[in-house]
Amino acid sequence: MRRLSYQYYMQLSFLHPVERHHFTLRCLPMADVGQKIEEQTLQITPSYVGGYETDSFGNQFVYGIVRDAHTHFVVDVKGVACVDHSIPIPVTELHRIGMFRYPSKLTKTGAALKSLLQKCGTCVEMQGAEDGCNALERACMLMDVLYHNFQYEPGVTGVNTTAEEACELGRGVCQDYAHILLALCRMEWIPCRYVVGMMMGEGASHAWVEVCDGKEWIALDPTHNRLVDDNYIRISYGRDAQDCTINQGYFYGSAEQTQEIRVVVEEMSYDR
Amino acid sequence: MRTEELYRYSDAVNELLARYGVKFGIYKNGTFKEQLFPFDMIPRVIGKDEFAYLEKGLKQRVMALNEFIKDIYGDKKIIRDGVVPEEFVYMGSGYLTQCEGVMPPKGVYAHIAGIDLVQGKDGEWYILEDNLRIPSGASYPMIARDLCRKSSPATFEENAIEDNRNYAKLLRQTMDYVNTGGHTVILSPGRYNAAYFEHSYLAEQTGAHLVTGNELVVENDNLYFVDYSGKKERVGAVYRRISDEYLDPMNFNPESVIGIPHIYDIYRKGNVALLNAPGNGVADDKGIYYFVPKMIQYYLGEEAILHNAPTYLPYYEKDMQYVLEHFDNLVLKDVAEAGGYGVVFGSGMTKEEKENFIAMLKAEPRRFIAQEVIDFLDINIYDNGQVVPRKADLRAFVLMGEEPMVWKSGLTRFSRNPDSFIVNSSQGGGFKDTWVMSE
Repeated sequence: MRRLSYQYYMQLSFLHPVERHHFTLRCLPMADVGQKIEEQTLQITPSYVGGYETDSFGNQFVYGIVRDAHTHFVVDVKGVACVDHSIPIPVTELHRIGMFRYPSKLTKTGAALKSLLQKCGTCVEMQGAEDGCNALERACMLMDVLYHNFQYEPGVTGVNTTAEEACELGRGVCQDYAHILLALCRMEWIPCRYVVGMMMGEGASHAWVEVCDGKEWIALDPTHNRLVDDNYIRISYGRDAQDCTINQGYFYGSAEQTQEIRVVVEEMSYDR
Repeated sequence: MRTEELYRYSDAVNELLARYGVKFGIYKNGTFKEQLFPFDMIPRVIGKDEFAYLEKGLKQRVMALNEFIKDIYGDKKIIRDGVVPEEFVYMGSGYLTQCEGVMPPKGVYAHIAGIDLVQGKDGEWYILEDNLRIPSGASYPMIARDLCRKSSPATFEENAIEDNRNYAKLLRQTMDYVNTGGHTVILSPGRYNAAYFEHSYLAEQTGAHLVTGNELVVENDNLYFVDYSGKKERVGAVYRRISDEYLDPMNFNPESVIGIPHIYDIYRKGNVALLNAPGNGVADDKGIYYFVPKMIQYYLGEEAILHNAPTYLPYYEKDMQYVLEHFDNLVLKDVAEAGGYGVVFGSGMTKEEKENFIAMLKAEPRRFIAQEVIDFLDINIYDNGQVVPRKADLRAFVLMGEEPMVWKSGLTRFSRNPDSFIVNSSQGGGFKDTWVMSE
């Protein structure tokens, strides 16, 4: 188990004042199995009216409106997460698993994904076992092939880049790694979900994948080709990045804006 | 039946309809065009007993569909019990994850259902499709009836016809039943929507406010109507005539500028009713249509009173075989398309088109349904002073208040082209009044 202190800080700056700024923020680490949240604070400026709500994936979010004209919008979340990945995340709503088994908007199958999947061979070929392998083993194989056929490169893909587009390009960031792995798993009928979170050593938010083996969710980080450990803090779940948008806004005024994001995760104490 | 006097007023009634703005707006090749929705004076007449039978079947169908939507966004028993394969739900464009676990006020999803039927030459009625999102069309026979009554009052004295001008009352009851406290509004995308006439007419007839998205605002977990002076009044029910996708940029399409930010968040909390419920598209998908008789059996324990047109799902091996063997006798529909688009007749294809289509069908069997071509019962219309037979369908309206209610009328649409089977108004057809006899 690890105690991690975290901060998610985001500042939007507008060149000209905007008003009637509606926002939905999925930026709060979840209080869930294997992740206890302590001493969490959330500051949003300027002042707003709004509230909390939970979406269909179980993500708690903050929503509201800043009515008056403003040039800065700042979100600052701080807290401590006690993370223990050795506690399995049970599949609590098995009847809803179907929504994670089919391609979503950003994980639709295409020629590039199909060809990548072919490089992965079949379970039987890779394992030499007659009855193939289980969901986790298979997902790890897919992750390994993806990792060795994809280049990490920021700035070449965007928030709306699909798995197929990224796969064709062969380069991208954590969101693209996660989308491609989701698409590959779903082509193989493995239910899986997109996870947004934070991790030690990254200055921004991170994204990875959880696959379902029928009983529990197991987290894989395709960007680093490894299983998720106690350095990761979960924020939200969805079928793909669109379900997990950290900050969604809708406002009246000039659209010229710059965004500054700072994520700090640090270990507080290590307890074995 | 005496109707001759009525027919003399055809031109006058059509002129008045045009003046009142009974039009259909169509986007074609990027430009907005308005065209008149021609009205044919010869009514479709449905006998009392026959309509009673339709009414029973329609209520049954809509009740089962409503249960289905509730189940799909809730426990999903019908999937677990293997009645509906899950890919027809999750792969369908109408399924919205945002609706998972969200229960609308009073558990009503399909408040206003437009069920399209056709009558075959054998006299049998068949369901063509269910429209549970935002079915339009009730206003056309409403206003046409009103103008016909004014033109020839005697016709309506001499014939025992159910008055269809109560639609507004039924609609108001439906909206009031789910209202969570406050005003009732009809939300329109605005003047350039294909059904703008209908939005304004229904608002006028029901006494609801006609509003656009920028007149509504979410604050403190409630929805408010903001009037010209800035005064806010709470809204408890929204009969929204904009699609799910555009309803709320914070929860659906973020590009939408006609929606209301956060309206879905407070709907989720139960603080406003949306008619119809978002997510209904999961039940009126052409692929799901095949399963409706099974749903009726599953949820209500009854046999379906009204039948589907004989339908095959290439998804099932046996049906695929049948479709390939009888390709020329079938009509094929792309489940993702609506409004008469994506419909092709096996017999109308060239050899090459057929080969391409079959390849596509084999690659994506779930995407298509195939149906026997129904030999429609033609009904008469006036065409340049002559009475000629044309294909027609009937859109029946079922409103779900405390109990389902069937409007004793409906929108009869006909194809003006003698060779066409497609009667959709987006494809340039006309309409008729539908008389349900009371004796």
